[in-house]
Amino acid sequence: MTNDNASVAATTAVDPALEAALALERGAPFPDLDLPDHTGRPRRLSELAGGDPIALIFSRGWWCPKEQRHLRELAQLQDEFEVAYARIVVVSVDPVEVQGAFRAGLGARFTFLSDADRRWLPRLGLGETTDTVHEPYQPAAFTLLPDLSVHRVYDGYWYWGRPTMEEVRRDMREISRSVRADWELPRA
Amino acid sequence: MTAPTPFTHVVFDGRRLTLDRRAEGRRLRADSRCFDGPPVQGAYAHVCAGADAEARLPFDTPEVQQARRDALASWIPRLGASFVCLTTLAVDAVDCGGAITVARDPAAFASDPFARLFPGTVVRTDLFADVSPPAGPVIERYAGAPWPGGGF
Repeated sequence: MTNDNASVAATTAVDPALEAALALERGAPFPDLDLPDHTGRPRRLSELAGGDPIALIFSRGWWCPKEQRHLRELAQLQDEFEVAYARIVVVSVDPVEVQGAFRAGLGARFTFLSDADRRWLPRLGLGETTDTVHEPYQPAAFTLLPDLSVHRVYDGYWYWGRPTMEEVRRDMREISRSVRADWELPRA
Repeated sequence: MTAPTPFTHVVFDGRRLTLDRRAEGRRLRADSRCFDGPPVQGAYAHVCAGADAEARLPFDTPEVQQARRDALASWIPRLGASFVCLTTLAVDAVDCGGAITVARDPAAFASDPFARLFPGTVVRTDLFADVSPPAGPVIERYAGAPWPGGGF
């Protein structure tokens, strides 16, 4: 279930807290998140992009088997990202030290951002309202251009709504084609 | 976006590290961002490089690629708040002459993955500025700049 051109929270717009998420649609600028990474160092999303496309993943947390499964797949895909000038960033409410351990267990080499204080969660309107125990992010994914504008949105509340690795590849190809001036090698 | 200066030359003679281009020793290209901000006083540089011009490996060889992967996966997280900056050392557009990791505390230097490529020398230094660690997972270099520097 891929929500092309759709807001991730469109189906739950009755909650006023989710209204902010309505802006997170194709072509809209994604907020330049400022959060600590898995080592506790302050980072900004724009800095992590570094001029490259991003797969931005919002994850419930280390405890969710669906997250473990999906992030293991992304950890496999990082072997392609590492040679393709593109980034993966994961955001969750896990504390820094938990993220660091989870990241190491996955063998991930990409950046995790910790919103343990839920500072961005309500502003993004991505709270999973059905989980009142962990107060996590709703699983969602955004593929972003290097300037942080949204290319495609995925609502991952149901596992099948998450981007498959083929869809991530497709999005990275589409974004790269649109931003790399030398995508087609000039003919002599 | 303005492209950053791709590299700054450092000179290493096997014991000392300097930006003085007239100094005797081996000239190697380092990530310019490491020298852009206020220098961290009394830091320690782990210079995994040889003074010998033959101490070089192509960046694309598996051992150099794996050292960069290990830096992203575990080396930088292990240094934590002690981390100041990291740069590989480029000989030219193809070859890697080693790497420098700078930290406030040298205690973890024995775990430096770049020491698998070239032996490490600990140098007390006031040359290097704080630079945010690379985001990963990119290990490719941009336009020949020493990893993790550069950008499109």
